[in-house]
Amino acid sequence: MNALLTFRESKNTMIIMGMSVCLVVTVLFSLSIGAVSIPVKDVAVVLLHKLGLFSAIESDGMHEIVMSSIRIPRIIMTLLIGSSLGISGAALQGLFRNPLVEPSLIGVSGGSAAGVVMVIVFGASWGLVTDGLLYNSLLPIVAFGGGLIATFLVLKLSNQMGRTNIAVLVLVGVAINALAGAVIGLAIFYADENQLRTFTFWTLGDLGGASWNKLIIAAPLLIFSSASLLLFSPSLNALALGEAEAYHMGVDVERSKRIIIFLSALGVGVSVSLAGMIGFVGLVIPHLIRVLFHADNKLVLPASILGGAWLLIIADVVARTVVSPAELPIGVVTALIGAPFFIGLLMKAKLKNEL
Amino acid sequence: MYQATNISFRIRDKIILDEVSLKLQPAMFTAIVGPNGAGKSTLLKTLAYEHQLFQGEVIINGKPVQKYSPKELSMVRAVLPQNSQVQFAFSVEQIIQLGRHAHRTTKAENEKVVGEVLTLTGITSFRERSYHTLSGGEKQRVQLARVLAQVWEETVYPRYILLDEPTSSLDIAQQQLIFSLARQVCERNIGVMAIVHDLNQAVQFADQLYFMRDGKIMAAGEAQSVFTKANIEETFCCRVNVYHDPCNNCPFIIPERGELGGITSEARLTINEQ
Repeated sequence: MNALLTFRESKNTMIIMGMSVCLVVTVLFSLSIGAVSIPVKDVAVVLLHKLGLFSAIESDGMHEIVMSSIRIPRIIMTLLIGSSLGISGAALQGLFRNPLVEPSLIGVSGGSAAGVVMVIVFGASWGLVTDGLLYNSLLPIVAFGGGLIATFLVLKLSNQMGRTNIAVLVLVGVAINALAGAVIGLAIFYADENQLRTFTFWTLGDLGGASWNKLIIAAPLLIFSSASLLLFSPSLNALALGEAEAYHMGVDVERSKRIIIFLSALGVGVSVSLAGMIGFVGLVIPHLIRVLFHADNKLVLPASILGGAWLLIIADVVARTVVSPAELPIGVVTALIGAPFFIGLLMKAKLKNEL
Repeated sequence: MYQATNISFRIRDKIILDEVSLKLQPAMFTAIVGPNGAGKSTLLKTLAYEHQLFQGEVIINGKPVQKYSPKELSMVRAVLPQNSQVQFAFSVEQIIQLGRHAHRTTKAENEKVVGEVLTLTGITSFRERSYHTLSGGEKQRVQLARVLAQVWEETVYPRYILLDEPTSSLDIAQQQLIFSLARQVCERNIGVMAIVHDLNQAVQFADQLYFMRDGKIMAAGEAQSVFTKANIEETFCCRVNVYHDPCNNCPFIIPERGELGGITSEARLTINEQ
């Protein structure tokens, strides 16, 4: 009996380790690919230099510059966004006990997008800064604020005698998303050609704008939200049986619910501000994990972090290379890669009656 | 002791519970019977402190229920709701492990508890199976095992489990099994309260019996002595005859067929209203 338990736990650890190795390999591989091709060996050398190790080994100066000013910030941003979207999706699906939930459903994405678009289009005329570090920190704040306001509205409106009514919440989410859509539409109406193009690319997702400046503000927020969400995996397991049941088993349901939604709004809002709306990662990754392995959130949450990061990095490599030197919008690629894979897995799970 | 004193609960103007008082004793099986809509489930949810806006007092082991944190509460009482649905594909063992959620016990201790409740409920052989693939009776035993895992360990204070119609939609063998398990559990100084639909089963298994109708307690006491024709007819508005079953050495009822199935004119009125 004990052997069995240890077996399952070591299985979880092995899955996580396997995924981590995959991720590291993918990261190295993706750092070497691009307009300037850098051999994986050089990538490793530059990375070691950055960590202050093996500085005796020579590396190509240009490669070092390309890596440190363009590719490393971009890959860090991709990693962080992918993992935030993955874990937020997993946490929200668990919380709402609904495998179809994704962050956009509770208004986070819509609210964040509305906030960001307002700043892009009206920022200058409102006398806000339009460039530099301050601007870079303004966008995540506005996105988070917009996402939080939308989520808060959704939560407040779906409150019934001190409890959140999930059915009402989903419907209110639809309404709030429509409202956010209207705000975005209005902003587009007033936007000039240039802003319109920026915005269109932004709605499809764009990782091209990565820089250390943006990361200084965004990275701690993203890491904080993902790491804190991890702590809720036992509560989310209990919530899988239902809110009343979770309460009976000692979970402070209302408090957990509020914190999980706040953290997801933070993660998704900041991601949206950095790279626009990247769909599909938050919906698909947790599903993949559940279908491939099992539904225990102690595995699903950490594995969604790794899986989300992995999917987004692969998608980014494809986006950067297929039409090089131009770039495909990342959202298009995540859907192109993810959707067929997902459908295939769903069919397999349906046949085995596992859904 | 798990004690409710004069608890009332209303939703807007509709009174669901009207000054209900009840006592659950440790190591005893208390059954609640009553017609549909009598407020039995509401009573259970109020006792479990799931409904928090009630008047009156609920005291568990000498401490008002409001003074407990959700975590502390989960150490003294566990609840089996009427139907639990599991959204994701959890295994049987994972579900039962959830009962240990709030406990600060080691993995080995949790494993021991889970092993014991698996054995008691007779589901050890499918501990690895996905919950979704189980039959209704098996699911119910898994849920019961989860509830038991929550309050399994012997403690200085008594613990309680509240079961809301634990046998609905099960066949008789499964029903008998669930109730006899509940009885066995009493031996661990656990007080069991169950809402029971079948009156004959209630009197067969329960030590204490409460009759409930329209949010009020109609009769209460030692099971066999309150199991009278008058109490049952008064509570259920249906004519019955009480007999003695020498095999179980306990009473049983058969409802009268008569005109309209023997229900009283009063009951006919209420049913028509609904």
